[in-house]
Amino acid sequence: MALLVFRKDWREIRRNWQVILPIIVMPIAISVLLPSFIILIPGGGQQSSPEGVAALLESLPAELRAELAGLNQQAVIIYIFLVYLLAPFFLIIPLLASTVIAADSFAGEKERRTIEALLAIPISDSELFLGKVLVSFVPSMIVTWSSFAIYTAVVDVLSFSIFNGRAILPNLVWTLFIFGLAPLVALTSIGLTVTISARVKGFREAQQISAILLVPILGLFFGQLSGAVFLGPVIIGLLAGGFALVAAIVFQIGVRLFQRDEILARLA
Amino acid sequence: MLSIETHGLTKRFGLFTAVDHLSFSVGEGEVFGLLGPNGAGKTTTVRMLACLLAPTEGSATIDGMNIEKDSLRVRQMVGILTENPSLYERLTAQENMEFFAEAYGLADQRKRAARIKELLDFFGLWDRRSDRVARFSKGMKQKLAIARAIVHSPPIVYLDEPTAGLDPESAKSIRDLIHDLSRQGNHSILLCTHRLEDAEKLCHRVMIVSKGKSVVTGTVEELTARIQARPIIQVTLAGLNQKIVDAVKESDLAREVVADDSAGTMTITVDDYESSAPEIVRRIVAADGRIHSVDRVRPSLEEAYLKLVKGNPIEN
Repeated sequence: MALLVFRKDWREIRRNWQVILPIIVMPIAISVLLPSFIILIPGGGQQSSPEGVAALLESLPAELRAELAGLNQQAVIIYIFLVYLLAPFFLIIPLLASTVIAADSFAGEKERRTIEALLAIPISDSELFLGKVLVSFVPSMIVTWSSFAIYTAVVDVLSFSIFNGRAILPNLVWTLFIFGLAPLVALTSIGLTVTISARVKGFREAQQISAILLVPILGLFFGQLSGAVFLGPVIIGLLAGGFALVAAIVFQIGVRLFQRDEILARLA
Repeated sequence: MLSIETHGLTKRFGLFTAVDHLSFSVGEGEVFGLLGPNGAGKTTTVRMLACLLAPTEGSATIDGMNIEKDSLRVRQMVGILTENPSLYERLTAQENMEFFAEAYGLADQRKRAARIKELLDFFGLWDRRSDRVARFSKGMKQKLAIARAIVHSPPIVYLDEPTAGLDPESAKSIRDLIHDLSRQGNHSILLCTHRLEDAEKLCHRVMIVSKGKSVVTGTVEELTARIQARPIIQVTLAGLNQKIVDAVKESDLAREVVADDSAGTMTITVDDYESSAPEIVRRIVAADGRIHSVDRVRPSLEEAYLKLVKGNPIEN
């Protein structure tokens, strides 16, 4: 039954440009345009002065400086931006995709007034909830993993000659980010959107409020940029634990609010 | 066996009581109307009976099953047309039907396809099955929503305002469909409406509800009779004159006589229609009155409804 709800929602979502557009455009911008700009466009990143590069290196953790030893200035800049700094920024993809789909799937049903007939079908609250979570989670992971594959290919192909034929991606940090942290970010965002959707009437409100999760992700990005945080395996593990805990809490609240009586009482 | 039975069904939202101790029963194959103005509690009652809302107080059984304890089985055996068509507008008519048919347990693909074709044919939508519902007119959406409600051949169907917002032609076609449904399919139908025409034409019995409470229950005839203290006879004549009026007034049977010279009609209030009508007619004929017609005047359901809902005392 949960798969039936998943199939129905997925069919609907595929035909909804308000949902499809952001989950296609944003990943393309991050996985194709951004690395191409940084590698190919003069001034896109690699035209910094030696003093500027030295200052940037100074602000980086010792572990990263060791990784960069022996690389020329252009390779250092590309490596810092595309391998080191963009890793947390990439988490925006699962966050955005899952928020947009979950908001449409949960709050959108209320807004379009299709929820009543759906709630009338002989299916338990938990099966219905699972179907809705699946349709938010599975596509957002497909988008994230596809974007990562495209990003890796674009970066490795375009920087092939700069790194003397060495593929700089994927590495351990990115693998942990994409396959460990990204699913947890998506689940946290779905849990939060479900909880918010129970309180609001429209999917835009749900989407906007769920954007609050951008704060920790941008915090990681700027933390790395300033040298305050170095995202190694230990920190990623701690972050995963933190997101798992938040996801568990918001899901518990979401499940409690996702009850027929509660949903319809708010529409009545 | 009763299809629907409620005892003191009540729903409160905070301090607001939407449904207040409603008790009624619907027999097998019966079309029962819940009649009342907007906000009377009709939709909340249907939502409780469809296991979408839990009652605050009271209980209800559907085909003997408790709506709170057997909610999954109750949902399986009822079909519901919600206040809004509740259709997925980005999906085609066929896709909508497929989803709900499967959700209601029509697992066999061939049987499911056959049932969907049968219904879409019946509602005249087969040729438009591949069109997205967003392109449908309001009447077509309503037909599709009714088709969806009965896709699993439920013995009990709830129809919430099935003709609301439709043009007269579409409303009539929906009424005809409901009529066919009750006669051919032997479905028990709970019809929520504020359209008296629907109730008058379709319902075996109606319950008038106002502010969540039951005002009165009965057949349309019983309700209209309840607001009328005494029977009224209306006689239409060719050439009504004072001699005829006096002849009727002199009768002990006539409690009140009102003559309308321009229309050529006389309305006479009596104690008992059957025993009074022949004597009244005899007196008119004896006074040289030429009678065109003699009718028993009954108030319409609309009059009964307005009188009962507005809280005017019911004459007994």
